[in-house]
Amino acid sequence: MMNEYFTDLEAGIVKAIGEGNVSHRKLYTLELARLGRRLYSGSDSIAWCGITAPFDLLNALGATSCFVEFIGAMLALTGAVGPFIEETDHAGYSSDSCSYHRSVSGAAIKGMMPVPKFLIGTTNPCSGGLAVLENLARHFDRELFVLHIPQDDSGGNVPFLADQMREMVAFASRVSGTTLDDDRLRRSVELSNRASAVMKEIFALARHDPSPVSSRDLSNFGIVMSLFLGGEPAVTIAEAFRDEFKRRIDAGVSGAPGRKYRLLWIQNRIQFRHGLEKMLEEEYGASIICDELNDITWDPIDPEHPFEGFARKSISIPFNGTIETRIGHLKTLAREYRIDGAVNPCNWGCRQGTGARGLIEKGLGEIGVPVLNIEVDCVDSRKFTEGQIRTRLEAFMEMLQSRPPLWQ
Amino acid sequence: MMDENRGTIGFACAYTPLPLIDAAGFAPYRILPDNDSPDQAGRLLHDNLCPHVKRVLDRAMSGRLPDLAGMVFMNSCDAMRRLYDAWKTVKPGMNSVLIDLPTVATDASIRFFRDELERLSRTLGQWGADAVDEAALAGSIGRYNRTSSLLTALRDKAGRSELKGGSAALQEAYNRASISPPGESIAFLEAILNEGPDNPQGEPGVPLYLFGNMLPDPEAFALFEACGVHIVSEDLCTGSRLFAATETGGGDWLLNLARSVLGRPSCARTFNVERPGSLGRDVAAGARRTGARGVIGYTVKFCDPYLARLPGVRDALKEEGIPLLLLEGDCTLRSIGQHRTRIEAFVEMMR
Repeated sequence: MMNEYFTDLEAGIVKAIGEGNVSHRKLYTLELARLGRRLYSGSDSIAWCGITAPFDLLNALGATSCFVEFIGAMLALTGAVGPFIEETDHAGYSSDSCSYHRSVSGAAIKGMMPVPKFLIGTTNPCSGGLAVLENLARHFDRELFVLHIPQDDSGGNVPFLADQMREMVAFASRVSGTTLDDDRLRRSVELSNRASAVMKEIFALARHDPSPVSSRDLSNFGIVMSLFLGGEPAVTIAEAFRDEFKRRIDAGVSGAPGRKYRLLWIQNRIQFRHGLEKMLEEEYGASIICDELNDITWDPIDPEHPFEGFARKSISIPFNGTIETRIGHLKTLAREYRIDGAVNPCNWGCRQGTGARGLIEKGLGEIGVPVLNIEVDCVDSRKFTEGQIRTRLEAFMEMLQSRPPLWQ
Repeated sequence: MMDENRGTIGFACAYTPLPLIDAAGFAPYRILPDNDSPDQAGRLLHDNLCPHVKRVLDRAMSGRLPDLAGMVFMNSCDAMRRLYDAWKTVKPGMNSVLIDLPTVATDASIRFFRDELERLSRTLGQWGADAVDEAALAGSIGRYNRTSSLLTALRDKAGRSELKGGSAALQEAYNRASISPPGESIAFLEAILNEGPDNPQGEPGVPLYLFGNMLPDPEAFALFEACGVHIVSEDLCTGSRLFAATETGGGDWLLNLARSVLGRPSCARTFNVERPGSLGRDVAAGARRTGARGVIGYTVKFCDPYLARLPGVRDALKEEGIPLLLLEGDCTLRSIGQHRTRIEAFVEMMR
């Protein structure tokens, strides 16, 4: 099912591009489809990973690597997630667990997760994600390597993680029979840095007023792009986005014509199809111009010391460490993007993301940015109560309408 | 422990290195979840977060804490990390530190954790302790190992149904030891151990093994016994796990302590990377070793490390032919009380 889906998706986009119908978003979706097809082709050496694994390093190793939550999101997007989550109900998984992880577990039980060559667990961002990787290692009887991501880059934390990544390379080489070629590593670092630099430009352009970004333009962008880092496609995609946003700014075109309110989306988007973003744009002139994970929080990787650079990158993800780091990052985004309000979809089952919702609300409130906490399962569409969430969003927008502008 | 007591240090996780805090001259004090503080934590933490963490925070928000010189948090799971975050908001003037805790015990992660323990030692120094030297740490480890051996003896006594008050009394001893300096713990544990054997009346309970995380309420254990359960041994955060013995040996004492803490019977959040899914096999082995005829698992709601691994535990016990009853609650007797019928039925099935 998934192989067919990704193969058809790739073929459709290639055909459209061949007919001259090229867009930044098409190039992004094309690479996403290619990744999915490679994962499900049965021919690639696959590594299931945690979100903060060094994908640029794994790409240099020639492994088709992916964080498992990607599959949960894809199942949600295709509307197929229900039976997989139900499977976990039968297997004894709690309905209080994260649906990204439940859907992945269900897919594994039903034989819908490709068998990996090996697995790379990461302690960041969440306990649940690492537990799923341990379960998958048991299920597939494959070896697991765990990267302990320290909470910050102080003291010996960077060398500690860099050494773990060196061990990870030795582990992956042993298991998969591939070796890390120095030239390929250097090339991966160079491409990762180039893509990251262009992504920085993209996010800077998105801050423009009027912003060239619509609510859907950069949906899931940062987190998915991390999978492509170290490869040519990441650069190509990033340049396409940058050029499109530049074009829109030069032409005086807003990403969402008539926009009055600039919103910040905290954590991840709702992964299945829904009408909330359209409603916000069309009925309230409000669009999401910033996502929490759409940021480059690391410095360019030094090609002479790549492992230390990969380590700093993994540590820098805002979900890592104490909530002060995360709130500080959200405040910076809110100021830079001149955000009017923030929406926090408190994904049911996510202790890492939603656990501190009150602290986040308080933190952004300190700079005058109101936060709407909505209760939603971002993956399990069966639980989606669109009417209730719509009412909450409408009330939030009416509150914003009654306030004086935050940024002069 | 130094001559002068520097005050009390709070903690909330069974991975807290108590000998190090004691060696610094502080008295470790576990902030157990109590049921008397109003439910306020939801203002800062999402409702779907661990009830243990929320009840500990409720205590802080209600001011139901002893006089603390500081609070030591372990980065053991998402919920505990969020507790640290919220604690700083609720108690901004109180000393607090979050110590990182690896999930696997490789040589590299043990060395990393050793450095974290050194950081804790320095932090305690900033809170008023003198530097911890090898002799002080060795003395503290010795006292906690004595505490551990006394609790093991008590557990064995309870397992033989010879402890007055049964497993509820054992849990009271665990709770008291978790809030007392080790010298005091040793004294009262010796006194309990020296009491004469109990003379139980009536039908003996069905021997069962209990595992899980937070169940500090002695009345919950009394309820188990009232339902016909005889708990022969347990593996709980609020039970034996906190008082696992520390291996001593030559060389770097902090490294030894780090290795011991990471190597103790593990909470689900810590695992052996070479034996993925080993929690289930470990629970089965615990049941076999103690002669239990069945297993009760008790976990608090929303505990991801356990929730994700319980299906594996179920599979492992099924393979071994060991019956399992899984209970989920919120640390209170109220929720465990609702399980009475299920516990009774489980016991009936095995009589």
